[in-house]
This record gives sequence, C-alpha cells and structure tokens, in this order.
Amino acid sequence: MVAASSTGGAAGSRARRAWRLQVAPSAALLLAFLVIPVLILGRISFYPADRSFGATGWSLRHYAKFFGDIFYVGVLGETILYGLVVAVATLVVGFPVGYSLARMPARGRRWRIALVILPLTLSLVVNVFGWLVILGGEGMVNRLLVALGLVDAPLRLLFNRGAVLLVLAHTFLPFQILSIMSVVAHIDPALEEAAANLRAGRWTTLRRVILPLAWPGIVAGSTLVFILTISAFVTPRLVGGARVPMLGSLIFEQIIVVQNWPFGGAMSFVLLAIVLALLVLANRSLGPRSSVSRT
Amino acid sequence: MERASRVAGVLVRGSVYLMLALPALIVIASSVSRTRFLTFPPQGFTLDWYGRAFRSQAFMGSLALSTELAVAATLLALAIGTPAAYAIDRHRFRGRDLFHAFVMSPMIVPLVVLAIGLLQLMTWLGFGQAFLRLLVGHVVITLPYVVRTMTASLALFDRALEEAAMNLRATPWQVVRRVTLPILLPGLLSAAVFCFVTSFGNITVSVFLARGNQVTLPVQIFTYVEHSYDPILAAVSTLVIVVTLIVIFLVERTVGLERMV
Repeated sequence: MVAASSTGGAAGSRARRAWRLQVAPSAALLLAFLVIPVLILGRISFYPADRSFGATGWSLRHYAKFFGDIFYVGVLGETILYGLVVAVATLVVGFPVGYSLARMPARGRRWRIALVILPLTLSLVVNVFGWLVILGGEGMVNRLLVALGLVDAPLRLLFNRGAVLLVLAHTFLPFQILSIMSVVAHIDPALEEAAANLRAGRWTTLRRVILPLAWPGIVAGSTLVFILTISAFVTPRLVGGARVPMLGSLIFEQIIVVQNWPFGGAMSFVLLAIVLALLVLANRSLGPRSSVSRT
Repeated sequence: MERASRVAGVLVRGSVYLMLALPALIVIASSVSRTRFLTFPPQGFTLDWYGRAFRSQAFMGSLALSTELAVAATLLALAIGTPAAYAIDRHRFRGRDLFHAFVMSPMIVPLVVLAIGLLQLMTWLGFGQAFLRLLVGHVVITLPYVVRTMTASLALFDRALEEAAMNLRATPWQVVRRVTLPILLPGLLSAAVFCFVTSFGNITVSVFLARGNQVTLPVQIFTYVEHSYDPILAAVSTLVIVVTLIVIFLVERTVGLERMV
C-alpha cells in the first residue's frame, strides 16, 4: 500500500507516515460532512412516506412523482436550458475579457481583476439585491426609460425569465473570465504571431490556434457555470419569484416550506445525477491528464 | 475594419467591467436616498438608514455572528487544508489524484444538496447549536480554496532552499518554521482572504443551517428581501460591500490580487 515518497532512507519512512497525517484531517472532514450527508439524503429519497422522521422502508415513489408530473419535468428541462444559456452567454461575453486580461501588461490588469473579483467575493444576496434595485419599479432602468420618455409608466422588469438569466449570468461571469484568463496566459503569444506570419487572419488564428489551446479552460469554466446555474435557488427565488421556478428553488421549497424531505431529497439526487453525468462528460472531453474538478 | 473591431472590443469589455461593478455601486448609492422606497438615482441625502441599521439588534447581531464564523472557518480550513495541499505537492502516494479531486469536490457538489444532507445529519446527531452547524458547513465549502491556492503556491516553491537549510543542520521543524512557512505566507494570506469572503458572504449553505436568532448577515438580508425592502437593506448591504472591499484592498496591497484568482 505504501507508495514511494520523495525522499529515501530513514527520513523516507518518516515522510511515508507523514502524508497520512497530512491527508487524514481533510479526508475525515469530507467523509463525515460531505459524503455521509449526501448518502443520508440519498437514503431519505427512497422512503415511501412524505416525512423522513421515523420512516422506514424503500420506495421509488418520489422519483416516480417527479418524472411522472409534467410540471416537474418541465422545470427540470427549463433548468437545464437555463444552464446551457448562461454557460454559453458567459463564455461569449467572458472570452474577449479573459483573453485581453491574459495578454495585458500587469499594471493595467490590477484594477480590472479587482472588478472581476468583486461579484465573486461579494455575497450573492447583496449582488441579487443590487439587481432588484436596478430593475425594480423605481429602479435605475425604469427611471431612465421614463425620463427619456420611452415609456409612460414603469415596466415590470423583474419576475420574468430574462431577469433571472441576466442576474445568473452576471453572478457567474467571473468564473468564466478567470478560467479563460488562466488558460490563455499559458498560450505562447509567439504561436499567434507565427499564425499571423503565415497570413492567417484574426478569425482563422482564433479558430485554429487559440480556441483549441484554450479548450480546457473553456470546458472547465463552462462546466462550472452550468453546474452553478442549475443548482441556483437564491436568484430564481428573489428575482423570478413563483413565475420562474428552477430545480433549486423547488428543492428549497420542499425542504423549508413543505418539509417533504423525501421528495426534496429525490429532487436533490436528480440534480446531483445531472452534475455527475456532466463531470464525466467534461473530463472525457479533456482527456485523462486534466480534470474539471481541479481547475 | 481592423480599427472598427478594436473599438467594438473596447466597448464590449468596458461595458462588461461596468456591469460587473454595477449592482454594488447602485446599492451604495441608493442607501443614502431620503425616500422610503429603494430608488436610483437617490433622492436627497441622508445617513438615517445607517443609523437605523446600526441600532437594529437583528442586523448587528448577525453581522457579529458572520464575522466570528468567517474567522473561525478560515482558521480551521487553513489548518486542515494546508497539510492536504502539502501532501498533494510533496508525496507521490497511491490515490493522490483521487484525493486531490475529493478535496476539491465541495466546489462542484451543488451546495443546496450538501446543505440539506448536512442539516439532516445534524438533526439526527442532535447537533442543535447553530454556530457549530454553520462552522462545519463553512469549513467544508472553504477547504477547496485553501487546497487550490496552496498547491499553486507549493508548485512555485524552490525546494533547494529547504535542502540548503537542512545542509546547515536545521531540524525539520526549524526548516518548516524559518524557511517553508515564510515563503508560503503570501499564499496562506490569499487563501485566508478567499475563505473569509466565501464564508462571510455565503447564503446557499447558511440559509439551511442557521436557526432562530443564530442567523448570519446574508441570511438576514435574504429573509428581509423576501418580505419587503427599504433603504435600510441597502445600508446593511453597503456594510457587506465595505467589508469585502477592505479585504480585497488589503490583498491588493500585500500580495497582489493575481495570487487570489
């Protein structure tokens, strides 16, 4: 079981024991408070009853309920669609930004990185709240529209799909930008110059040189944004209300409001299954040496 | 043609940067409006909402709780995650890649799933105290940031320095304390900052694990927004923005933001 360590001899045997001590705390923490909770949730989702407390037995009832109801299946489909839309939109908007950041001298990069990091580090709730003020009845957009005489009365800009997608894209854009920035930073600019010398246009260079080399960053960033989007519940709840249900907000409601833990657990496992399937796909497209979970 | 596309590029990037900062700017601006409703641009100027926020037991109590929680979670995540990163960087043990993916997995598991599972486990264990429940959840979600930052720092580490210290007959502990840790300090600092802001701002896990009057500031804001919103919320949110900005500024001044990403 003991694998070779970096040093040899007596120090080597100490090092061999050392890695176990170094690995143990985090492995134990995640085993107890990540793996076991997820397994418990999985078990709960197979209870036949609508309550988890004191329940026994096994049943696929809650999964049948989910996949047998057009409402739930519709929300599932819409959630996946939102994930795709947000991943593609953040990629299209984030690529030029991430690329220019990577190719920029360090001086100009500093304040720009601060701006990119801000929504990432700021509490999600504050971000969403900011958008409620921007899009609200007395918000910036509406007052601008009224002042310009474009509309007579404030428009209803919140509680629709567009608003939810906009806020989700804004929240997750930094992940995409940073992912692309880090991968482009490792592409030698000489390759682009070589392409230009060979009379490749900018578009050809992008398509034949940059995109293939940036592919791992594109896959990693888009996968992460997709996962974050389909797991979202705060944004759809606050920005979309009951009009724009997503899988995450249905789970939140089942657990916190309805308190039907088995059904909430079943929906959580559907979500988890999609995430795992996607990770397998993404890792396969990246090849064996790199993995999405490590970027 | 070339020039037009360059101008278009500048415009696109400029509006992206503006959009990234927009919600924070709007929140700050609308927190000083005299109106009872949230509006932008603000009408008039008052600091009254800040006075109300500071007098509010609920908001100030949760601000204190969030800060204590973030500090505790950061220290624990550093203590647990740094040795893990060290093992990943230095030892070629069997299952190393798997272990690496495992410690990074809290970034990928939907947090709503993690939080509900944790809540159920804690309920079964009779883990009633909200602070401990929150702390466990926050250490799990901040751990990957420590491992990511520290493995990156360790990869840049010149091991010849340690070997030189050992040749000078420094004990292993002296090597760690006098050579390894000082070199890793910038990495540790940026990991700490990322943990702090992640824990301080977290809503997705906290909203399930917080209970009664043991509620973090983001959860307090969340429940408040669901019912009504007035400029007092903008004032409280501005406090969150200020804390975040101070932390970002400190990192920029000490180790540079690029280390953080």
